[in-house]
Amino acid sequence: MTAEPKSSQFKSAASEALQNPRLQAAMKASGGLAVRRAAAIAEIPEFEAIRDAGRDLKNHTLANLDAYLLAFEEKALESGAKVHWAADAEEARAIILKIVGRHAKGPEGKARVNKGKSMISEEIGLNSALEAAGHHVLETDLGEYIIQLRGEPPSHIIAPAAHVSKPDVEADFRAAHTHLDPERTFPDAASLVHEARHVLREQYFGADVGITGANMLIAETGQGVIVTNEGNGDLSQILPDVHIAVASLEKVIPTLDDASTILRLLARSATGQSLSSYTTFYKGARRQGDLDGPKEMHFVLLDNGRSEMLAGEFREMLRCIRCGACMNNCPVYRAVGGHSYGWVYVGPMGSVLTPNFVGIKEGRHLPNASTFCGRCQEVCPVRIPLPGLMRKLREAEFEQKLSPQTARYGLGVWRWFAKRPALYHRMSSIGMRALNWLSGGHGRLKRLPFGGGWTAHRDFPAPAKRTFMAEWKARKAAKSQGDDQ
Amino acid sequence: MSARDKILSKLRAALDEGDATVKARSAAAQARIRTAKQTGPIPKIARTDGMDRVNQFVERAEAVQATVRRIATIEELPGAVSDELRRRNLPAALRMGDDAMLASLDWGAVETSVGPGRLEEPVTLTAAVGGVSETGTLVFRSGPDAPSSLNFLGEAHFVVLRARDIEAGLEGLWRKFRDSGADPRTVNLITGPSRTGDIEQKIELGAHGPVALQIFLIDDY
Ligand code: SF4
Repeated sequence: MTAEPKSSQFKSAASEALQNPRLQAAMKASGGLAVRRAAAIAEIPEFEAIRDAGRDLKNHTLANLDAYLLAFEEKALESGAKVHWAADAEEARAIILKIVGRHAKGPEGKARVNKGKSMISEEIGLNSALEAAGHHVLETDLGEYIIQLRGEPPSHIIAPAAHVSKPDVEADFRAAHTHLDPERTFPDAASLVHEARHVLREQYFGADVGITGANMLIAETGQGVIVTNEGNGDLSQILPDVHIAVASLEKVIPTLDDASTILRLLARSATGQSLSSYTTFYKGARRQGDLDGPKEMHFVLLDNGRSEMLAGEFREMLRCIRCGACMNNCPVYRAVGGHSYGWVYVGPMGSVLTPNFVGIKEGRHLPNASTFCGRCQEVCPVRIPLPGLMRKLREAEFEQKLSPQTARYGLGVWRWFAKRPALYHRMSSIGMRALNWLSGGHGRLKRLPFGGGWTAHRDFPAPAKRTFMAEWKARKAAKSQGDDQ
Repeated sequence: MSARDKILSKLRAALDEGDATVKARSAAAQARIRTAKQTGPIPKIARTDGMDRVNQFVERAEAVQATVRRIATIEELPGAVSDELRRRNLPAALRMGDDAMLASLDWGAVETSVGPGRLEEPVTLTAAVGGVSETGTLVFRSGPDAPSSLNFLGEAHFVVLRARDIEAGLEGLWRKFRDSGADPRTVNLITGPSRTGDIEQKIELGAHGPVALQIFLIDDY
């Protein structure tokens, strides 16, 4: 079992989210990422070519994945790291619990575990497993720390507390940091950051084990790479005696030069930086004479569904470098927030990953939570055709007969028409003329007959005045006239 | 079957097809790793040279809230550092690694101590082994003379860098590491001070790492 999914409740969760003014305000405040991305990309004219290179290098690596993993393993072992393979979440948790148990210095074999932000750790439900075993777990990324205090899952893959407003953080800090002066004030976000820095700094020292994710694994060198802006990932791995890095299989890339390509894409797409503040390449344990660094270093390589994706029609999704651009630019995500998606991966990438990882039945609503506006694919640095993959999932869902009766009926009718092109064109142009009339020619529909579920929170674009086929014919006619002149 | 074998056999089942055999894939991977040639396009900002390269480094470092002070020689470092400590109202004490170059300098009234980073660390001083002009990035490697914790635990992180060690882009850096055979445990690429956008997406400096990043750039290009 992986972390408990609640994706089957997407519809009710999404409509609650739309009614929640605090969430809506927080989501509005978090709109800056998409803007910053656009500015950072405008700065380098080569960005489109680098995207191609990123796509190609990921495709190449995936097509030779077994070989690159073995090359990475060999180099990592040479550097003194230990390499563990985990077929699923349960195996990964068992491996980690064993290592943590061995290094627990607290009473009754309890360990203090500091964590850097890791989506894989969320995916495998690591925190609750560690806590169930009695260990003390501290999330050190500020956003993760905030949601840990709130007992919530992340709502964004790089900004996990995107849904939390400043007054909420203030209330959480007052409730958690009871040893500090209750009369203190928090005039601004900086004062909250300062308090977290102060409180967490003490806890960096004295942790037995540090657990982080890895943004990349380099086959050439056996290095793991971690990218952060706060520096918490580094402090979590340098200070404790043991460092465990959990990484899924597709994180491996061939060489340091390939890392350059990924790095040029990652921060620009994620936060609009040219490089995040801290990019660290680490390998193995502390060396002779070193004054810091872990005495033991473990890599846990997690499959948990990746090998199935590699074999099937969702291989392209394994190119994902977890930048978050697709959600920052997604109108559905921006309206309903991350929690509506009900599992650790959210937004368009989550709509593809979740059904793949937790099953189509549980995740069936997610591929439908799309307007197919195509924005996610436009911004994805490794050019993952997200809408196309969602469409495939819809088809799979339909084939498994999981759609509700009305949708099945509607699609069945559509299919019947689609197989009869002449009739289809006639019917669709009638439908379009009707919808256009409803929109009063403004191109946007505030209300859609039988579509209240859609238009309560967004406008439905009115269709073009003519069908695509009619438009095509007209343009072709106009063009051939032009050619004649 | 071990998890490793189970995973590898699933991957192979997914990938084996026609010419794509285990052997062919291994050869393809080894070839790419061996040649390790640059595989993606290098943007123009990663192809600067001469003083342009140095100036762009300074510009980009300042754009991410690092501060840069240019000095002519390494001998000028203690004076510039103590001046900067005074200017920032910081105690006249530095924490550094067991670095022969730093130890050989005359620190005068500034107290220096050697060792890894501690809980309270007002100012650390470390030597960067390189810079990247493309992004205004500082490059550090770990070793007995350079504990990584010093790069993260200072309230203020002071860094000394030689202008001639600034590479145009990341590619130059990898070339340098490969050519020198250097294989450090840790390589830190640091681009500006620590920051977070986790509270309402407002960027605040000094989340866990340094609040300030002060670069002393030795202009010996
Ligand atoms: S799918 Fe693309 S845009 Fe979305 S997180 Fe992954 S890499 Fe980024």
